[in-house]
Formats: sequence, structure tokens, C-alpha cells
Amino acid sequence: MDTSTHISEEEKDILQEIMNIAFGKAAADLAEVINIFVVLSVPDIKIIKAVDLPNYIRTEFCEFSNISIVEQNFWGGFKGNALLVFQADAGKELIALLGDSGELTHESEFSDILENETLIEVGNILIGACVGKVAELLQDVVTYSPPRIIFEDHSSVSMPKTLFDPSNSAIILKTVFSFNERNVNGFLFLITSDNSVVWLKKALADFMEKYE
Amino acid sequence: MNEFSQIFETVNFGLIILNTELKVTHWNHWMARQSGIDAKQITGAPLFDFFPEINTPRFLRNLNSVLSFGNFSFFSQKLHRFLFPFKPAGSFKSTIFEYMQQSCTMGPIRDDDNQITGVFLIVQDVTELASYEQKLMEMNIKDGLTGVYNRRFFQTRLNEEFQRHKRYGSKLSLIMFDIDFFKKVNDCHGHQCGDAVLQAVASKIASSIRQTDFLVRYGGEEFCCLLPQTGLADALLLAERFRKIIEAQVTTYQQNDVKVTISLGVSAPTIGDSAESLLKRTDEALYQAKNSGRNRVVSMLTGHIEQTGLDNIT
Amino acid sequence: MINVILIVDDSPVSRKMLKSCIPKDQEYVFHEAGDGLAGLELYRKIQPDVTFMDLTMPVMDGATALDEIIKYDKHALVIVLTADVQVKSLAKVTELGAFLVVRKPPSKESIQDALSKAEEKLR
Repeated sequence: MDTSTHISEEEKDILQEIMNIAFGKAAADLAEVINIFVVLSVPDIKIIKAVDLPNYIRTEFCEFSNISIVEQNFWGGFKGNALLVFQADAGKELIALLGDSGELTHESEFSDILENETLIEVGNILIGACVGKVAELLQDVVTYSPPRIIFEDHSSVSMPKTLFDPSNSAIILKTVFSFNERNVNGFLFLITSDNSVVWLKKALADFMEKYE
Repeated sequence: MNEFSQIFETVNFGLIILNTELKVTHWNHWMARQSGIDAKQITGAPLFDFFPEINTPRFLRNLNSVLSFGNFSFFSQKLHRFLFPFKPAGSFKSTIFEYMQQSCTMGPIRDDDNQITGVFLIVQDVTELASYEQKLMEMNIKDGLTGVYNRRFFQTRLNEEFQRHKRYGSKLSLIMFDIDFFKKVNDCHGHQCGDAVLQAVASKIASSIRQTDFLVRYGGEEFCCLLPQTGLADALLLAERFRKIIEAQVTTYQQNDVKVTISLGVSAPTIGDSAESLLKRTDEALYQAKNSGRNRVVSMLTGHIEQTGLDNIT
Repeated sequence: MINVILIVDDSPVSRKMLKSCIPKDQEYVFHEAGDGLAGLELYRKIQPDVTFMDLTMPVMDGATALDEIIKYDKHALVIVLTADVQVKSLAKVTELGAFLVVRKPPSKESIQDALSKAEEKLR
């Protein structure tokens, strides 16, 4: 078994196709089963050193003035962090999208909570859909930490430096998502570390075995 | 019973398993205790037959997500309060919450082929935690002595209401009042008596305002009353009513009968106003009330005194 | 009788996967293109019996290429291969003239089934 943590070009292509399929299925299921209509772009795969991660994210987000980030950890053979980045007023728009606004009275403290909790709920479902479908294709079972908002309304991102062992590489899968019916767009980042790579290489090889 | 069944039954939180048709296949002892519904009664029956209130779009959305994607769904107390309407457990009878506050987690149940065959639902009692959190939030916005809102809360509120006024043209008024010769009360009867007087005044005024009005302790013996949807004329009437009832009130503290009066300033937004300029002008009006004899109401709309107290024109 | 098969997909992995699901004993001739425009041009050149079309591609996406191919040859047998199987998307490509829609990832069963149906149509 190849125990290096280097992803070859061919493996990257396989991962790319798996991501395409997974996200396509995720969007379809979200629409048909959950009634959430979201467009997920073809995911972009990058491999960078974990130590460069904070800078990378800061660069990606610098064009947004105000953002909210929902974060969730997942771990199966495929493990890592998911970050869902929304523009700051996304919560309000998503409440309208889900049609749940009747559940709470509109006191100012509560509408903040409703916005945040809606972001978290939609984030949880989106991340679950994307990660879940990838896991399914790779014959993996994944468990999740509760999602949390790691910040809101800040113009400068400061990622916790201790996310990963700095010597690791990070595989970053980036997708643009947009809810067309509401003007809500953002990014989904799946960040896995070296710990996953050995498993991932084998999972990719197993997947392609059927197609040799 | 195997080891897991033993744990399933004895843990101190609710554990339910539902199949894909949402029928209950497992219902642990905690759920039975809290609900009064035996496992025997509910096993095999649809959950919604016993708890129709859980059948909401949000619940179904999260449930379908778990069944389709195999992720977890989290029903936080903050948003949902509770899924199952149970009374608070044990002897910790919270006065804040009528029902047990719950934090719930849902996840997939898979068979040997990793196909999802159902969901588990964990129900945790977080009433105590929620009570503390509520208390903390309240302490943050309320004044410890009098129980009315504090100054920090007032700033936020004033800005919000002012924005609302600007955006929708809705009416808004502000009353500022303070207790006349309060220092004397402290000097003659002691600070504890002073505190009692503050509490009595706050309490009396608080019971004279509407649900939508905000009474705030702004400073030592100074209070503000923010009146949304209220015009200046009505605010003036209210201010005069405040003045009269405090004038008539007697506070008894350790055999001492103490009477105080209040001076009041009233204002409402004018063109070009900001929240700060409204506050400043109301403060000016209060100052004028103090300067022109105390125990009276003064209103200011522009830079000049519009009208002095209704009964106290000398 | 199916002889020539055109595969239009921007992912070499995906093309490989598809080919491996197609029976080897039929001596099909394969042609491949990496985007919708190249696929359209190749179609005009080689006139395949069956075309497999991916939807999300650069330069020209699959739906547009499908549309153009049908305009060029209204009897074209185009099988759309996609992961996004929402009712809306299916309706759209069917309306544009797709013969069949097959879900990704392909399997030997789903592809052979699609090819038999295509054979039937050609008779």
C-alpha cells in the first residue's frame, strides 16, 4: 500500500470526478428531499501546506466585507473540517427561504438567535449533504461534530492556528454555492489533513477498481 | 439484556430509535419516565401519533437530511426550546420555564451493509443550564437594585427605536426624570433608605407604563422612559401622571415615612434629530424642570421650552 | 447497429469509467471530446451512432452541445450522463432532445441497459 502522503495527478483527477458526482447528487437530493434549491459549482481542488491555510483563507475572504462562517468537523476515514462561508445578512434571507419565521416572535434578541440558528441549520444540512455523498461514493461512514458559527460580521478572518499540525498538507475542496431563490451565495471549504490522505488514496484506488 | 441494552435503559437522557416510517422501535426508560408513556405502548406506533406537535417542517427537514445524507441534526434549546413537552424534571422546578428545556441530537442508524434504516434521537434535559443562561442575560440588561432595565440596554434600545422612527415615521417620545433632593434622603435616613425609595419609585412607575414602554435606570437617581408609538402630547400626559403618583406616594422604611417628588423632562424627535440629540434635549428639559422649581414637567421640542407642567404654571 | 460511440466529458477519469462499463466484445469504435464545442465538431465529422454527453463542461456545456447536435441532426441519439438528477434538470434535457438520462457514477448495468435501448431505437 502506498503510504506516502502525496496525491498524484491521476488521484487528483479521480477525486475531482468523485467530488463532481457527489455534489451533483447532493444538490439533487437537497432539492427533491429537503426542498432546498441550491446550485453547487464544480468543486476546485487545491493542495497546500497546512501552515499556509490561514493566509489562503484570508485571501479568499478579503473581498467580502462582512461574513459569517459555519464550521463543522467530520470524521470517518475521510476526516477534516468543513467551513461554510456566508455573506453577513444570509441568515435573514435563509429564514425567509425556510419559511419558519412564524415559529418565533420578532423580538430583537430572538431574531438574532433565529438568524444564527438558521445559518447553522442550513450549514449543517449543506455540509452533511456534500460530505455525506462523498463518503457514500468512497464507501465510508462519517460522524459529525455539532456545527457552530465561528464568527460573524468581521471583516478580517483569523483562523485558529491550531487547526492542523503545521507539517501536514491540506486538501482544500472549494465550491461556490448559491440559493437562486434568495440572493445568498457563499463558499464551502472541505479541509482534510495528511491523516486522511493515506486512507483517501486507498479509497480512491478502491473506487477505480470497479472501472479497470 | 446485552451490555448496550443495559446502558440504553439506564442513561440519564432520552434515547429513541425510529425506523424510516417514523415508527418507534426503541423507547428508553428515561423517555417512559418523563412522558408517562410505556415502551410497550409506543413501540411500533408512529411517533407523531403520540406527539403531533413534533411534526413541523423544521423537524421533517432535519429528519430527511439524516435519512438521505447520514449526517447529524441538532435541535438546540436556544431555538427550539424543546421537542417533547415534558414538565421540568425532579425537584428543580424552574420558575422561568413551564416545560423542560431540551437539547436534542438526531443521527442515522445503519444496517450491516451501511444502509440507513432509521434514526436515533437523543433528548437531553438542559433546563438548569438554560435557566442560568437566562439569568445571566437578564443581569446583563437589568439594573440589580430596582429590576428595571439598565443603561447599557437603554442605549441599544434607544438606537433601535430611533431607527424605526426614521424608517417608518412612527411616533416616539422620551421622558427623563430624577428624584428631587435625593441626596437629602440619603443624608437624613441613610443609604439603605435611599435604596428603598429608589425601588419604590421604580416599581410605581414600572406599573404605570405599558408593555411596549421601557423604563430604565439611567444613573444614580435618574430614570428614563422610552415610549415607542407615542406622540409628545400623550407623553406629556403620562409624565404628569408619573409626577402626581410619586408626589402622593409614601415610602415607609424602618418607621420613617419618606415622601419625594420627581422632576421630568419630555421630548420627541424633530427634523434632523439623532438619538443622541433627542437624549440631550430631553436632558435639557429635565434640567429646566429642576431649575424652575422641581416637582414639575417640562417639555422641549426645539431649543426652547414648549410647555411647562400642566398644573404647575406659576 | 451501433458502431461508433462518441463520449463528451471534460473529465478523463469519467470517460475512462464510462468506457469500462461498455462491453468490450462489441468492437465499438470510440471517439472522445473534452468539452461541448469539441464534441459538437467531432459529431459533425464522424456522425456517431450514439453519443454520451456530460452536462457540466467548460467552453460549451452539455445542454448547449446537446441542443446544437439535435439541431444539426434531429435523429441524434444522445445519452446524457449526469450526477444532478433533479426533476427540473431531467425535464430540461429531455425537452432539448436527449434520448436518455443515466445517473453518474455509471455501472455496467445502467450503461448496457442504455445501449440496448439505443439499439432498439436504431432499428
